[in-house]
Amino acid sequence: MNACILVVDDDPEIVGAIAITLEREGYRVLRAYDGMEALDLALDPAVRLILIDVMMPKLDGLSALLRIREKRNLPVIVLSAKSEDTDKILGLSMGADDYVTKPFNPQELAARVRSQLRRYTLLGDVHAEEQQGLLVNGRLTYDPARRELRADGETVKLTATETKIVDLLMRNPGRIFPAEEIYRRVWDGEAAYACENTVMVHIRRIREKIELNPKEPDYIKVVWGIGYKMEQHGT
Amino acid sequence: MDTKWNSTGPDEGLEQFVAGEVREALKGAEDAPGVAKVRVSEKTCGRLRAAAGLAALVLGVSLVLGSLGQTAGRLASGVDSGSFGSGWRSTDWQETPAFRQEVAQRLRAFLAMATGSDLEWWDTASGDTYVVSGDGGAWYEWGFTDTATEDITTAEEEAPDASYAEDKNLLYRVRGPGEDSYYSNAPADMILSSSWTVPESYNFLLTFQNGTVTITKDGEPVDVYGDGFFTEDSLWDVPGYENFTAGEDVAGVTVYMAIRQEPVPYLQLKSDGVSRSYNDFYGLYQRIREMQGFYLLRAVLCAAGAVCLIAAHFLRADRRRAEKKLAALTRRVPGEIWWLAAALAVLSMVFFTGYSGLSPYGGGFSPFELWYYGWMGSSLTDVLRLLALLPANAPALLALVWALWLRHITRKNTQPDQRWSLLGALSVRAKKYPFQRSLSRWNRLALVLICLPAAFWLLVLTRILGISAYDDLFWFTFLPLLLPAAVLCWILRKNAALARDIGLLADQVTAIRDGDLETPLNLPADADLHQTAEQLNDIQAGLHRALAEQTRSERMKVELISNVSHDLKTPLTSVLSYAELLRQEPLEGAAADYARIIDEKAHRLAVMVQDVFEVSKAASGQLPVHLGRLDFAKLLRQTLADLEGPISRSGLTFRVDLPEAPVMITADGRRLYRVFQNLIDNALKYALAGSRVYLSLKTGAGRAEASLRNTSREELPDGVDLTARFVRGDASRTDGGSGLGLSIASSFTEACGGDFHVETLADLFTAVVSFPLAEAS
Repeated sequence: MNACILVVDDDPEIVGAIAITLEREGYRVLRAYDGMEALDLALDPAVRLILIDVMMPKLDGLSALLRIREKRNLPVIVLSAKSEDTDKILGLSMGADDYVTKPFNPQELAARVRSQLRRYTLLGDVHAEEQQGLLVNGRLTYDPARRELRADGETVKLTATETKIVDLLMRNPGRIFPAEEIYRRVWDGEAAYACENTVMVHIRRIREKIELNPKEPDYIKVVWGIGYKMEQHGT
Repeated sequence: MDTKWNSTGPDEGLEQFVAGEVREALKGAEDAPGVAKVRVSEKTCGRLRAAAGLAALVLGVSLVLGSLGQTAGRLASGVDSGSFGSGWRSTDWQETPAFRQEVAQRLRAFLAMATGSDLEWWDTASGDTYVVSGDGGAWYEWGFTDTATEDITTAEEEAPDASYAEDKNLLYRVRGPGEDSYYSNAPADMILSSSWTVPESYNFLLTFQNGTVTITKDGEPVDVYGDGFFTEDSLWDVPGYENFTAGEDVAGVTVYMAIRQEPVPYLQLKSDGVSRSYNDFYGLYQRIREMQGFYLLRAVLCAAGAVCLIAAHFLRADRRRAEKKLAALTRRVPGEIWWLAAALAVLSMVFFTGYSGLSPYGGGFSPFELWYYGWMGSSLTDVLRLLALLPANAPALLALVWALWLRHITRKNTQPDQRWSLLGALSVRAKKYPFQRSLSRWNRLALVLICLPAAFWLLVLTRILGISAYDDLFWFTFLPLLLPAAVLCWILRKNAALARDIGLLADQVTAIRDGDLETPLNLPADADLHQTAEQLNDIQAGLHRALAEQTRSERMKVELISNVSHDLKTPLTSVLSYAELLRQEPLEGAAADYARIIDEKAHRLAVMVQDVFEVSKAASGQLPVHLGRLDFAKLLRQTLADLEGPISRSGLTFRVDLPEAPVMITADGRRLYRVFQNLIDNALKYALAGSRVYLSLKTGAGRAEASLRNTSREELPDGVDLTARFVRGDASRTDGGSGLGLSIASSFTEACGGDFHVETLADLFTAVVSFPLAEAS
């Protein structure tokens, strides 16, 4: 568990705080304070993951990311004070594996680091898993035969109802289900007036088990005024 | 030199003068003169081409239409039909059927005179029987017999050939079987027999002897009988055929006739009867020549017109410029003038014939008279013929065409708002503004007040001068009225333009009030209100500038806030991170509390920074929204479910009234969720403990309206806009909100195209969010 992580930010205190949090988790941390430094350090084969800020002197984070990508294939998490969707989409489209907005919760950041590292370790298996009939969606892997959900390779403990909901959503990623439909298919009953509440309660519980930040879920999302859906992520 | 060149104004004369000067002055100069010359000649050339194009069109259309119209009218009138029909083709009048018919007719008359008895003959064309009377008159057996009989009786004392003797275009000698029947108008020394001694100008010689006719024309014998059998196609309707002989009584008659090659008029015309003419041959000769001349002239004119039209076609681009200039003049005249002129033209076509000889019955009968007296039948052919008679009045036809053409080019080259008509100027109902209506009313009144006394005085004047309406002079008494009428028209036009311009000005004021700051009001430079309009345009432009400036500064403000919020986030990240780390340290006593407080407040600060950022973006209209169709009721249920935890912990009771059926609206679901999240948060924070919160969704009048009501814990301040940024129901700021909740709700709703407002009644706080219902898909 001695993976080395490169943390890049022009604010040394932020780098320090992140470093402390990660070191407590047992990682080794390399520090860089601008893009050029980051480029140099990223070549160290020990580095397994990079946390990089966007707005930095000399070379901004996204440019550095592009140049690192030319040489190395490793997970990169982008840190940014820009919180808008467009910024997020830009970051992800330029090859970032995750996008965390400032101010962030150190614990959540640590969880994301852990998740990315696990995914990269398991990446080789994804193809094999799909061959075996497993449903893979980003961090999540679902085995329909055994009705088992794994997040970052770890089995998620779900109740019977939660499993039914996950089964429905994992089989149909991207499709929007109205609460009534989920209720009908999971509870096998006529949709009651209060089904919205019931469904929401269960979905919140599932989120707490699978999402890194249940308040800003990446997977099970509410489509306001329409229903719920499983966001489709690349592998 | 330059100043002179530049000073060329709209004055044509001056311009040409200056152009000439420039040309002279520039003769020696090097590069400029060429350009100047070209420009001058181009300009003049353009003018000439434009004028030529217009003239060619006018001339061409006039000539073609005029000649075609007269030709059509004459053909329709039928004057040239019958024996004249093929006559116009021959250059020699003696070769025409009309001539042959006249000769045959005359021979019959002479034979009748010679025998002194009536002869029965038949008309080869119609098959009707003629009665040729002994005195030389002929009439149809039916129809005018009575009249003819009267003529016979009144003319008893006269010699039978009295009606022919004076016409020396036909010299004759008739010798009957009886001794006393000898008639001749030739001088006694002239021999009219087989050895003619008639002058050379008499080239047509006819002899009737022994029941047969021999004709010599220009010294050459003419074949009279053809194959000897009389048929309908036979040229000469004279006895001597195998199947058409003269009969016993005329067998002994000898007739010699010599006819002049080019008849001349003999002035001793005796006109004692209605239908007698003593100059028949001269009349016939002239008639044929006139007819030939008529068609020939029309053909030449039509061809000339066609040439003009071709020229006009090639000059059409230039002509359009001339039309524009013309329209600049004609648009000053009320639009009704053209219709009036057209109507007068049509009336004169109906009531006046264009060509006095144009009537199947002779005389200058107008198409109306022909119709009114029933001379034309009611069959389709007759109606068409009657209609075809109309264009024979070529001046009226051209007046009609050109009146309509002038109207057309005037309208084409005049903006709709620059057109004017008397009716338009005087109409009240079509006017938009009250002042325009009252102006129209005053114009009407003025018109009546001027026209009535004028008519009255005109009547009095004609009475005093004793001029009756049948007098030509009567119409001239109207002439002095033309000038006042023109002035009156001018005043009306001026008033109409003024009313229109004030209307446009008022419209512009309305448009500016409604936010149109881009379209200036362009009144014509000669309009009285031109200056005012320009000033209004200045105000509009100023307003536009100010608004642009304001928008720019607003945008800069947003950028500033955006940057500031970004700059705030960086240290905040450190604060939050280290507060978190601090809390993980083992802390003694109060230190743990302090760390917790720092952590909490830092979190609140983070929320506020994000809220400020979003609100300022939304306020400046730069908040990105993804609009889509969604169920409003479902969104509210989802929001309630999402906030179920805080709601149940609050101790407040939610009374929810949402329709089961979908309420489809178009909005951004995530933003709208934030709206209600903030509203419910707001209620949870400020509602009186243990009270009830009412959330309802109603549809009606094409809108869906959600309202959230709660009873406020604190007294609500009066007259404060609660949706303004950083304003809260209570003045203290001790709780966790940023004070932006309602502001976010308001600006997000508006960003989605909805309507947000807050009502307060005593302690009752109501927030209303409404959206137009989306159309069913």
